[in-house]
Amino acid sequence: MHSVRFRIASWVLGHRRITAGVMIALTVLFALGIPNVKLQTIFSDLLPEGHPFAETFRDHPNFGNPLTMTVMIQRKDGDIYNTDTLQKVWKFTRDIDLAPGVDHDQVLSIATEKARYAEATPFGIDIKPLMEDHVPQSQEELDVFRERVESSPAVRNFLVSGDGSATLINATFIESRLDYGEAFNYVQDLVEAARDEHHDVYLAGQPALTGWVYQYEAQMIGIFAVTLTALILALVVYMQNIAGVLTPLIASAVCAIWGFGFAGWIRSPIEPLLMIVPLLLVARSFSHCVQFAERYYEVYAHVGDRVKAAQITTSVMMAPSILGIVTDAAGIFLIAMAPIPAMERFALFCGFWAMMLIPTGVILAPLLLSVLPPPKNIDRIIGKTGEGGVHVAIKRVLAGLARLTYGGPARVTTVVIVIVGALAAYSSSQIKIGNPVEGSNLLWEDSEFNTAVAAINRNFPGVNTLEIVLEAKDPKNPSRVARQADTIFTMQALQADIEEGEAPPRATLSFADYLMEGNRLYAGGNPKWLPIDTTQEMVSAAATAIMLGSSAKAFSHVVDFEQQNSTVSLWYKDNKQETVDAALASARKAVDGVGLDHDAFRVRLGTGTIALQQAMNDTVAAYEWRILAFLNIVILIVCSFAYRSVVAGLVLLVPVNLANVILVATMYTMGVGLDINSLMVAAIGVGVGIDYGIYLLSRVCEEFDAEKPDFGYAITAALTTTGKAILFTATIMLLGIAPWYFLSDLKFLADMGLLLVLTMLINMVTALVVVPLLVWLFKPKFVGRTDLLVGENVDLSKFTDTAHGAPEPASKATSYPSAADAGPTPATG
Amino acid sequence: MHIRKYDFNYSRRMFMEKTLKGVAAAGVLTPLWPLVAEGADISKAYPDELMSIEMYTKGKIKPGDILTADNVDIVKDLLDPISYMQVKEMGRRIEIVDTVTDMETLFPPKFLEATLRNKGKAKIGPDGNIYADNGGPWIGGLPFTDPKSGEETIANITLSWGRHDYCQYAIRQWDIAPDGSEAYQYDFVWAELQATGRLDGTVFQDKKDLLRYQSVWFTAPNDISGSSFLSIWKYDQREFPELYGYLPAFKRVRQFPTNQRFEPLVPGVTWFLSDAWAAGDPMLTWGNYKIVERKPMLGAVSDTFHGSKKNWEPGTHGGPKGKTFWDTKMSLVPEVIVLEAEPTGYPRSPVGKKRVWIDVRNQMFIAYNTFDRRGDVWKSFEAGWSRYKDGNVVVKDANGNPDWSWTYIHSHDVQSNRMSRIHQTESCAGGYKSLLTAGDTDVYNKYLTTTAIQRLGT
Repeated sequence: MHSVRFRIASWVLGHRRITAGVMIALTVLFALGIPNVKLQTIFSDLLPEGHPFAETFRDHPNFGNPLTMTVMIQRKDGDIYNTDTLQKVWKFTRDIDLAPGVDHDQVLSIATEKARYAEATPFGIDIKPLMEDHVPQSQEELDVFRERVESSPAVRNFLVSGDGSATLINATFIESRLDYGEAFNYVQDLVEAARDEHHDVYLAGQPALTGWVYQYEAQMIGIFAVTLTALILALVVYMQNIAGVLTPLIASAVCAIWGFGFAGWIRSPIEPLLMIVPLLLVARSFSHCVQFAERYYEVYAHVGDRVKAAQITTSVMMAPSILGIVTDAAGIFLIAMAPIPAMERFALFCGFWAMMLIPTGVILAPLLLSVLPPPKNIDRIIGKTGEGGVHVAIKRVLAGLARLTYGGPARVTTVVIVIVGALAAYSSSQIKIGNPVEGSNLLWEDSEFNTAVAAINRNFPGVNTLEIVLEAKDPKNPSRVARQADTIFTMQALQADIEEGEAPPRATLSFADYLMEGNRLYAGGNPKWLPIDTTQEMVSAAATAIMLGSSAKAFSHVVDFEQQNSTVSLWYKDNKQETVDAALASARKAVDGVGLDHDAFRVRLGTGTIALQQAMNDTVAAYEWRILAFLNIVILIVCSFAYRSVVAGLVLLVPVNLANVILVATMYTMGVGLDINSLMVAAIGVGVGIDYGIYLLSRVCEEFDAEKPDFGYAITAALTTTGKAILFTATIMLLGIAPWYFLSDLKFLADMGLLLVLTMLINMVTALVVVPLLVWLFKPKFVGRTDLLVGENVDLSKFTDTAHGAPEPASKATSYPSAADAGPTPATG
Repeated sequence: MHIRKYDFNYSRRMFMEKTLKGVAAAGVLTPLWPLVAEGADISKAYPDELMSIEMYTKGKIKPGDILTADNVDIVKDLLDPISYMQVKEMGRRIEIVDTVTDMETLFPPKFLEATLRNKGKAKIGPDGNIYADNGGPWIGGLPFTDPKSGEETIANITLSWGRHDYCQYAIRQWDIAPDGSEAYQYDFVWAELQATGRLDGTVFQDKKDLLRYQSVWFTAPNDISGSSFLSIWKYDQREFPELYGYLPAFKRVRQFPTNQRFEPLVPGVTWFLSDAWAAGDPMLTWGNYKIVERKPMLGAVSDTFHGSKKNWEPGTHGGPKGKTFWDTKMSLVPEVIVLEAEPTGYPRSPVGKKRVWIDVRNQMFIAYNTFDRRGDVWKSFEAGWSRYKDGNVVVKDANGNPDWSWTYIHSHDVQSNRMSRIHQTESCAGGYKSLLTAGDTDVYNKYLTTTAIQRLGT
């Protein structure tokens, strides 16, 4: 009686028109969704959900200047108080006001009317722009200008550097009108035009970062093309026949159409920063198809009929293929456990794509093979006419490797593996969470953006902020919470506590500071009038004073438009973990001091780069091991079922977990911390890495003869055949991934490429060494069973009586598979 | 029965020709102002399709109809781009009423008298300012009934904003956030006292070098109540007005930069001083005036006074929460001048240019847009005007005639999508009432000096 798999294969290949029609219809259906595909980085979606810091950011996205571009103009040979530099600042200020999407009410520099100084007059006070309607020309005008700057504390702290050599221009954009790419290109052109032998010009701020990322994402298309070409070339070189090349290409293209079409239909934007994973899936698809094609050729050599060969191959390959793909997909799907919206969307998109390798690899591939012409080099492909020197050399190496895993040498190998594992476990336990980069860890440290951030950090309070938000309980409170006495004095208390604490920030700023300045100015200008009277009336008066004749937007970095929610901003010198830890400890202590809950508002810690970095780190720490544990359970269940043995599941899990520990240890040695990249790589690495073990273990099972048990023989046979397939699969994936590390200007992508390459290599080695070693050490019973889901024996002689024009079968009744030297195994890659 | 004497494109061709040739006289078939002087029906100056929205739209829109997103495309060419967008995309509705044929509906009676009395007596001096034929400052009414240039056109608005010697508007303003909710609400009083260009033929306290005194004082909410501003305009339109602010809690007058015209007075509002009356700055601080077009237009020039409603406040509608727009009425204005100008006297202006649609009949703006320096449309400052008569409720001038004034403003910043919805009301917080005459009150010493604004805050 034929198995279910055989009956499915028979039906599919027996009704090729219907099957092809269904495949074409599905492809057209999914293709219709492709126009809706949106490649888009939504930065807020890269932050974890549920984390108090990230939620504070989501509730108050206007704090921390997320829509502000900051330009620093720095005089290389002196200070800014000269006509040449100030003219440059004036021109840049006017030009940036022309940027698409800029909020004209929120352009600030020493050349705008918003930078003001105050002086007493017989009537009261006169508040005027620092700069007149023209750039200071004479020395006298320059001296007056400098004097005004120096007597204006807010300008002195936040717009002109301590040494007077640099000044900032801030331009805030309107979110609904902001096209990040367009705005960035415009401002970046201004930056490049403004640079000369006397001036450095730097551009930072979240919109600029987004602009850079978009620019590099355009570069990704080129890298994508390079890697895809490399994969296709590898395929051509390896297969050297039409069917062998076209089948993986068409099946992978169809799979890609389904994957993208699915994303389009569900209208889920695709995160371009993670596009390396789809490329990995293309490589996986190639690899699966190659395995399938090679097995098909072997069968075809026996049965001499394309349809029958495809049918047999499908029935044989179906279960192991599905097993391998399911573990791949499980790893990807489980990434969604990390509560990061971009990751959740991505896991769904890529997980679906991975799952679609099943129909395209198991149904479409044999369908294509059954219609495409059989290769003329079939004898060479199946090893009948011998192999070249490289193949022999690889087999010798693999045979040597096999020798290390059984018999006497196995003891030594075991000791070595245990020592390596122990050392790796120790090293990996030392690894830190997070990879702080001055600026953004999406980009390289020496990138133009991160260089700009570093330069601005050197000259100004900088960009590493921690924001403590005072959130109105009633967002429409008629008394406007941000201008209530309790709110203002809570801000002051927080600032005082933190400034006097053990880890004082470089600078602090709150709405209260502006009120104090307003109080001073309106009270006659003497600094002794800085403190605000404690009455509600005077607090409100000071708030009115500073806002009179101003847009509320001018204060949007410290208080929202409706003066309900406000923030205390703390600037720190860097974002190293020790700084972050100290800042948060200090902030927590201060928040405890003032109390979380007040009548009209609650204190929320917090947002800003410091808090958001910590939110990511907390998420990585919480979910990396959780995802791995869950993935282990899934794989254990699936593999135990496939091999009908829990021991088999354990044998397969040991090498992938060992590989992960070694990967983490390697990262520690390289000075790299765990981050969101390593979280993804760990899940994908285990999911994909388990395939190698499945390859090998299945082959061991097939080579093992329960009547004449010889583990050494089975291991050697498996390594010298399937080992080659593993090497091919690994090569294909390295070709797809490694170029990203060398070519990408996006550190995020490059890091992921590097980590994926590392994990694939480590997994390959651990699979080739540890799986056979464990089989030898434990000699599990399932190895001798013949009723496994994976590794099916087929009597090909039953199919040869109708063969015509086919090559002479290798044997009349062969235990399948056994003919392929180079070839692939019942399990697929 | 209407008989169409001219083909449909006749007036369009006439407008194009007038614009190109710089022909100044209002009217298509015959000059408008002689008809006004004779007290004749001004509809003789225009072909039928310019006096009837029904004929203009070939029966698709008629008085009594409501413009909505469904039919606004029929009259797209009769609206400024922001008003069109408001109807098309934001749920604004506009009721259409009959075109005004009676000029007395479009003016305060005394202003129309002064205009007719002083017609032809104004000229632009070598310094760009407007002078009467006696060489002194302007003597009241429209200086240029048929303006030949952009400068003459804007002078008609700038020299007397409110068209009374003294106006005191009790104003209520709601600032609507992009989500349709109320972000701010203010009550304030806006007072204007003409020093020159007065309708009574005098110069206030012989201050020939001044054009006007103007002050704003806030009366609600409490935290801003008593804060006030005083602006003193020179007659010389090349000079910036003096601008003072007062904060009662500090008992201090603050002098603002004289050229700070592109900032809101208080947080939350969308309009700048520069936007007021579509001519908020001295006219010669702007330049490159250009009449770019003459055309018909829809404008809220009549029937917008809601005296029968509580505190004269009409209903609202539209926007995400139904609070973004006033209920308004517009009619077909047969001829408007489309005027453009650039803020040449403000090297740091964020505004690139303004475009003003001016009803040639009374030379008052009916629509106003500003554009940023990129050329993107930025803000609208749309005003409604009306004779102050609504059923039995009539606001009369000293001679017992129904008076005329503005009624509402929609100041819409379309870039940040914030709306300031403003109305002249019977009274506002603090008990102040809208007045179109000073009466016997010494308004100057009460409201329009630095000492006065300090007193207002106590």
